[in-house]
Amino acid sequence: MLSDISLGRFVDTRSVLHETDPRLKIILYIVYLVAVFVIGTPQALIALFALTMIQLITARIPLSVTWSTLKPVIPLALFIFVLNIFTIKQGEILWSWRFIEVTDVGVSKAVLMSLRLIFLILSTSVFLTLTTTPLKIADALESLMSPLKVFKVPVHEASMMMSIALRFIPTLIEETDKIMKAQESRGANYDTGTALNKLKGYITVLIPLFVSSFKRAEDLAVAMDARCYRGGNNRTKLNPLKIKGRDIVVFVLFLAGAAVLIGTDIYFK
Amino acid sequence: MSDAISVKNVSFAYKTDEGQSLEVKALDNISLDVKSGAYCAVLGPNGSGKSTLAKLIDVLELPDEGTVCVLGNTASDESDIYAIRERCSYVFQNPDNQIVGTIVEEDVAFGPENLGIPNPELRERVDEALKYVGLYDLRKREAASLSGGQKQKLAIAGALAMRPEVLILDESTAMLDPVSRDEFLELVEKMNREKGITVLTITHDMNEAARCQRIFVVKEGKVAMEGTPSEIFSKPDVIREAGLELPADIGLVYELAKSSCKVIREDDIKDKDARIASAVRYAREAKEVPKVKQLKKHENTRKILEVSDLSYSYDGGKTYAIEHMDLDVYQGEILAVVGKSGCGKTTFISHLNGIVRPQSGEIRFINEDNSVLTTSRKKDIAQIRRKVGLVFQYPEYQLFEETVRKDIAYGLVNMHAPDVNIESRIRGAAIISGLSENVLDKSPFELSGGQKRRAALAGVLVMKPQVLVLDEPAAGLDPIGRREMFDTICALRETGTTVIIVSHNMDEAARYADRIVCIKEGRKAAEGTAAQLFESEQKAREYGISMPLLYEFSSKVKEKLAKEDPRFMMMPPLPDPAHEAASIIRGVLSC
Repeated sequence: MLSDISLGRFVDTRSVLHETDPRLKIILYIVYLVAVFVIGTPQALIALFALTMIQLITARIPLSVTWSTLKPVIPLALFIFVLNIFTIKQGEILWSWRFIEVTDVGVSKAVLMSLRLIFLILSTSVFLTLTTTPLKIADALESLMSPLKVFKVPVHEASMMMSIALRFIPTLIEETDKIMKAQESRGANYDTGTALNKLKGYITVLIPLFVSSFKRAEDLAVAMDARCYRGGNNRTKLNPLKIKGRDIVVFVLFLAGAAVLIGTDIYFK
Repeated sequence: MSDAISVKNVSFAYKTDEGQSLEVKALDNISLDVKSGAYCAVLGPNGSGKSTLAKLIDVLELPDEGTVCVLGNTASDESDIYAIRERCSYVFQNPDNQIVGTIVEEDVAFGPENLGIPNPELRERVDEALKYVGLYDLRKREAASLSGGQKQKLAIAGALAMRPEVLILDESTAMLDPVSRDEFLELVEKMNREKGITVLTITHDMNEAARCQRIFVVKEGKVAMEGTPSEIFSKPDVIREAGLELPADIGLVYELAKSSCKVIREDDIKDKDARIASAVRYAREAKEVPKVKQLKKHENTRKILEVSDLSYSYDGGKTYAIEHMDLDVYQGEILAVVGKSGCGKTTFISHLNGIVRPQSGEIRFINEDNSVLTTSRKKDIAQIRRKVGLVFQYPEYQLFEETVRKDIAYGLVNMHAPDVNIESRIRGAAIISGLSENVLDKSPFELSGGQKRRAALAGVLVMKPQVLVLDEPAAGLDPIGRREMFDTICALRETGTTVIIVSHNMDEAARYADRIVCIKEGRKAAEGTAAQLFESEQKAREYGISMPLLYEFSSKVKEKLAKEDPRFMMMPPLPDPAHEAASIIRGVLSC
């Protein structure tokens, strides 16, 4: 039921990519993101496919997991494909029926666009969600953003908020499940009846959930106070982020991969 | 020895949002001293100011009047606040609301990180604390995946990593099952013994208080009594007046003494052996069997619920939360469902009104005219929900309407009950659940904790269920609240309602239930009366449950009596100190 919802499902295969410093992974992710949108030639797409395979193998992600991350995106990819194929009117007409025309440019654009989406999801998974815990992502963002402290951006506070939010997701999911069951026992209905009935059903869950979240927030604030929390100044870290030699090797290799990719694209354009 | 905590003439009132003090003072000119290295308990009913006192000691609040001095620092200016908080750790009631870190070891590190402890000392502290509480192997796990008992141990580890000199426990064991509670207390006692940490525990559990060296009884913001456990518990009248009760074993000694018109003395109860010896002595001195109210027996044999071959798995058949469960429930009985945390109790009761649909097996509800409703027929479910009311743990969290009246009526209105006088039903439900009429128009969020629970109960009772299922109905309540809750349950039985309660508290299960079902690892381990289930300690352990303290103590007393005089008649134990005392005396007099 609700516990099936997983945000950024982390798969712990302890690969090299898992151990790599999350800041470097974020940078690599951005580089690949740009690359995916820049390239357009079939040769570069093949290179991208090969690179992605290498990434997946390096990260030791099983095929089943790759498939389950892609599955929900396929309808969207198809939609993008259909949209492109029918709306682009440039180039030579390959097939037509009444007002519908399919052109060669349309086909190649449609393929490119839907592949872009798929590669986008794959690189997000490989660099971030599947190989990096949300907590590490929060840590990495704090560290990458820290120059912004000069401009009085509350970087530490934002990262603290994010990690507390992550910490409470399972707790709140569990609680929602509990409240739903309790209200259902009292006749609440979430999926049948009129729209008004359904809405009322969800209100019976949301109000108690808000009330208890505020209570939790209050309790947690007192608990943090009691544990001497005073903001980010002078705080140390149990597991500070450290870039090791291996991290740099991984970083450089993947960066080189991206360079090759873009190089291929420019060469064949 | 010097004082670790010294509270002098302290008064405190909570403020409204506008900064005005509330009329009722939470603490009223209270004074107490705790010696360094002591292990103390603070007892008192809900609203007596116990938690406020603890918060003032950890400088989470500042006193309106008087001084709080902790480890030589007076809580007044900013710098001293942290000097105190660094050396004085606090463990709260709700395990979920005090865990900050996502990963176990990150949470333990949170406190020392705030103090700016650098590595490698930080790592050393975290590992040491995790090893001490026995969570080292789970250090990389997500904190949310721990059990309740493990979460409280994690909170202790977080405190320990601060290397505190004082540890405050604010009802830290209230949400734990007996086994986890015992482990938790042993851990705290070890810290007190080995590390010399001063422990101040706030609790509703008298058995827990009896383990301490010193007890403070707080009532209406003042210390009503102070002394060693034997000093405090040898004054049963004062105890009762303060809204507390005697631990079960001392209760039996007290009843035995009362039967020969004696009062217990401090020496009678100073330790376990003394309690057994004095119970034996008082039993021998008795001249006649004291009169006790006849225990009500359940006699109806009409089956109302039938669970057959129920199984349920959360992970598609790898492990079963409930496995091949069979159970018959009879009309008008109180049935207790007991078992360790995570044994499948909650999954089981969630099936009873069709909230969780069985994966295999079924639940049948048998009407008075012998017609049958079953959870395996979809169209029956709505009817079953009306006949079987389910109240989950901490039901106060399900309140949502603007007024208590509307909230109580919600289920009734929603289930489209035909032609009932809603208003009279609301009033009826409110009366049974012990809610006074003037709160009906208040917002449910204004009520006190106990009242909220009653309002939530009324919201289920309003549907006049024939079977009422309650998951830990008394969890988190003080002794008076618990007693009142069970009085309500007994009153419901009088009206013919069948009540199924899930309970961690074996003494209460034995005392109030007609029958007990014990679940172990998803299977029914035993079923029967309290006397059958708790026949011996060894058997109880086999079922995965602990003995009620009264039974455990009483069996030792009876063994000793039988050893001294083989003619002593061993009777099966009774779940109430007064009845058990009468039964023991009857056995002695029959010699």
